[in-house]
Amino acid sequence: MAIIAGLSLGAIFVVCAGGVLFSAVLGRKHIPAVLAIAGAFSAILMALTSAAVLLAHQAFEVGLWILDGFGRFTIHLDPLSSIFLFASGVVYFSISLFVGSFLRNQGDDAHPTLHFSILYFALMAAVVLILVAGDTVLFLISWECMSILCFLLINYDPRGQSDKSAGYIMLAMSEAGFLAVAVAFLLLARSAADLSFASLRSASGSLSPQALWLTFLLGFFGFGVKAGLVPVNFWLPRSYTAAPPVFVPVFAGITLNLGFYGILRLNADLMHAGFGTGLLALITGSVTALVGILYATTDGDMKTMLAHSSIENAGIIVAAVGAFLVFRALDQPVAAALAVSAALYHMANHSVYKTLLFEGAGHVEAATDTRDMDRLGGLARVLPGLSAIFLVGCLAISAVPPFNGFVSEWMTLQALLRSAILASTSVRIVFALCGAALALTAALAVTCFVKVYAMNFLGIRRGTWEPQARTQAMSKFPLAILAVVCLLLGILPTYVLPILSESVEPLAGASVTTALVQPFFTATPQNAQLPAAFLQDFHNLGAQTGKGFVPGRGLVVLLRGLEANPVVFAMSPSYSVVALALLLVVTWFVVTRLTKRRTLARRPLWAGGIPRLLPLMTYTGTGFSNPVRVVFQAIFRPNITEDTRQTVAVHFRTAIHRQREETHVVDRLLLKPIGAAVQWLAAFLAGMHHGRLNAYIAYVLAFLLLVLFFYRGG
Amino acid sequence: MSFWFWHGLRKGVQSTRYPARAENTPGVSPGRPVNTDFSSAEEARRAAAICPTDAIIAHGKSTYINHGKCVHCQLCLRSLPSPMNWEPGYEWTRLPSNRAESLPLPSAFAKSMHIMVVDAGDCGACLRELKQLNNPLYNMHRLGFFLTATPRAADLLLVVGPVSENMRGPLLKTWEAMPTSRKVMAVGACAISGGVFGKSFMCACGVSSVLPVDFEVPGNPPPPLAILHGLLVVAGRKSVGPVQESPKGDTAPWR
Ligand code: SF4
Repeated sequence: MAIIAGLSLGAIFVVCAGGVLFSAVLGRKHIPAVLAIAGAFSAILMALTSAAVLLAHQAFEVGLWILDGFGRFTIHLDPLSSIFLFASGVVYFSISLFVGSFLRNQGDDAHPTLHFSILYFALMAAVVLILVAGDTVLFLISWECMSILCFLLINYDPRGQSDKSAGYIMLAMSEAGFLAVAVAFLLLARSAADLSFASLRSASGSLSPQALWLTFLLGFFGFGVKAGLVPVNFWLPRSYTAAPPVFVPVFAGITLNLGFYGILRLNADLMHAGFGTGLLALITGSVTALVGILYATTDGDMKTMLAHSSIENAGIIVAAVGAFLVFRALDQPVAAALAVSAALYHMANHSVYKTLLFEGAGHVEAATDTRDMDRLGGLARVLPGLSAIFLVGCLAISAVPPFNGFVSEWMTLQALLRSAILASTSVRIVFALCGAALALTAALAVTCFVKVYAMNFLGIRRGTWEPQARTQAMSKFPLAILAVVCLLLGILPTYVLPILSESVEPLAGASVTTALVQPFFTATPQNAQLPAAFLQDFHNLGAQTGKGFVPGRGLVVLLRGLEANPVVFAMSPSYSVVALALLLVVTWFVVTRLTKRRTLARRPLWAGGIPRLLPLMTYTGTGFSNPVRVVFQAIFRPNITEDTRQTVAVHFRTAIHRQREETHVVDRLLLKPIGAAVQWLAAFLAGMHHGRLNAYIAYVLAFLLLVLFFYRGG
Repeated sequence: MSFWFWHGLRKGVQSTRYPARAENTPGVSPGRPVNTDFSSAEEARRAAAICPTDAIIAHGKSTYINHGKCVHCQLCLRSLPSPMNWEPGYEWTRLPSNRAESLPLPSAFAKSMHIMVVDAGDCGACLRELKQLNNPLYNMHRLGFFLTATPRAADLLLVVGPVSENMRGPLLKTWEAMPTSRKVMAVGACAISGGVFGKSFMCACGVSSVLPVDFEVPGNPPPPLAILHGLLVVAGRKSVGPVQESPKGDTAPWR
């Protein structure tokens, strides 16, 4: 297995290099095909590598050459990074095919150049390197490469029209984050033998609590920038919106995950971040989720809105990670394992469905040349296939069973509810408030995605756009794969959890498999894995249906409690989907039977009796989300200017021009004050520059005296 | 702090007892002119001449009233030396002149009827009276009558106004959008006969020229209780009001 992992890991880089080579040799016309084939192939290799590690139940490690002064470069692929690598592989497979088919159907002037191909494959290699890096130097180098490549890809625009400022903001934030991460690693490495992760891990035990806190804060800031956490995520919606449609899925599905990977690697694996840090992560995550979904619900641009929704999901994941850190610090391994596996599950889910949605948004943009949800509409008739697939994505992200978002959000909320086992009341209150924030987030997410689907695909066309023929030619296959993955992750959690268990067991100290996936299929009254009475009860409920011909331990996710309360929570999407499908069939049958003799009259759409329903009269996304905007007025604080033109008197208005400006709550509460403070400080210090020569000489003298004073001993 | 619930309890039920008992409070209805026998043919002709909408027709010494045209101007009551007879009451709902009979809604709707109101160009008077049905005094909800905003859920199409040209299309669309068990009721003189508007290039002169009308509520505007009577008739809980006699041998539409 280790051989397979090593070979296929090496092959990833070879294929990436081959992709660049073929792009150069075959010429510009064939680049889309090369991107699709080489990209998909190396994505399969990613999945293969990580599968090999997960199946072998052991980490794959290999030392590379030694760099003078930095120590040995090591490749270390453990189950934690394998989970991320596997998710990246699945997502990259779809993205590569999408990129290929998208670029092939663009006009000739938008044809990708060799430049794009190089950036694309280099980013792929950098992502893999980050995930397999086994020492600080390799990790930081590849992290930095990834940041710069992202910046270059955002600004990749063969027509040279886009606004470059979004890319620069992102680069500045990434660099600030990188510096913070570098300092965090150096703090850890102070007492370590060398820079490899293994020695950092063993050295971190001797760190003082203050140093742990500082490392946590620096790392949380640095990785939080990439993961899109409040308050350092203002670059995210801007750059997602500015990025070319072929590249946004990479952002949402791949590089966002690297932020979570960093947070987990640093705080959960390399050092044991304490209880307070966990609470901080939990609160930050919940606030991020709420802020993200609020702006997602009210935004009218499809890409910006999806970007805000990524922030929301990042918040949910980090909140689960925070809960994990708290549980672990308070010696609750089962709850900790539940929380961290919920975080990983949600991470994988988010990258799958968000990639699907961004690819769908790319299709929509290509078909209509607009992203304004107030102008779209009626796409279900133009693009029926895309509409169905996009609907799956919307259902998954709004956590509607039987799709994957439901399982992970349910587990996250259950993990937060496990705070009932904690002793401290104040901690329990924090957990309850964060749980409430996440529940509100989940509810708003449904509103948000009802709006996205309804406004884009249903109703009538509101804008002046004409559906473009080239989109019909674009393949829906890459999206369809992801839709299937959404469904599979949603109905087979009992097969996913054992895989996650592999990676979280070393972190949490307990296995989610034994905790959550009860062995209903393997347990017999004799071997006493489950109490006989308990088994009998659940047998009567049908939990052993399929025993014998369905593999695995069982199909029920169940956490057992104590004597008084034997079942803490339980669910089984696998059984429910079958039951719901049966119910649907029975209902359909009964209804058609009952209404057989009824005549059905079809009348034109009722539109209030107006002569003709004009597109401008129909419900828009802005109207749909207005209740949210009104309820959360205190957060949005809009600046509304109304300009009314009237002819004779107030009753005869000719035009009402209403403008609404919003400053994002983070910008308003954090960035604006900081900017103002810096400018004030600069203005204050500028007072020194008054141009009097003798005063300048006095400054020099004073500084010299100061230096002499400090070095008086040496 | 208001004690509205306490006031409410002290005042007791103020809603009208109609239709269980007749409502006789002074002022609930303006009444209306009825067929009158004068002492001379001259007096009858003068009464017919004073009516602005030709609602009064003289026949010998008698005058006959077409309530579908009467706009309640009260000229025939106040400006004549010998006035027309005037009757109190409000149970005026009648069948359109071109119909021998109209069936009420099926009995399933008797205690639950949803009403779609279309303002087909009315002056606001009939709508204002209609609105009173929602107030505590008339309170049509107690009888199971509800206004609805969508024709898909409506059982009765209640039209006020003479059907102006611009409202003809929307009115027809509304009627077409309703389930086929629908009934149509024209409320007010304008909706019945065009009233003071009459027939013109912008006015269809009554609902019956556009849609098949099932019941009519004369009055200009009809008082709330008259409209309530109309609703009860449509629901099959009351029968139509007394028919005004027409002169013998005359074929003109009288009722
Ligand atoms: S009240 Fe006026 S409209 Fe009615 S019959 Fe008398 S005069 Fe004619």
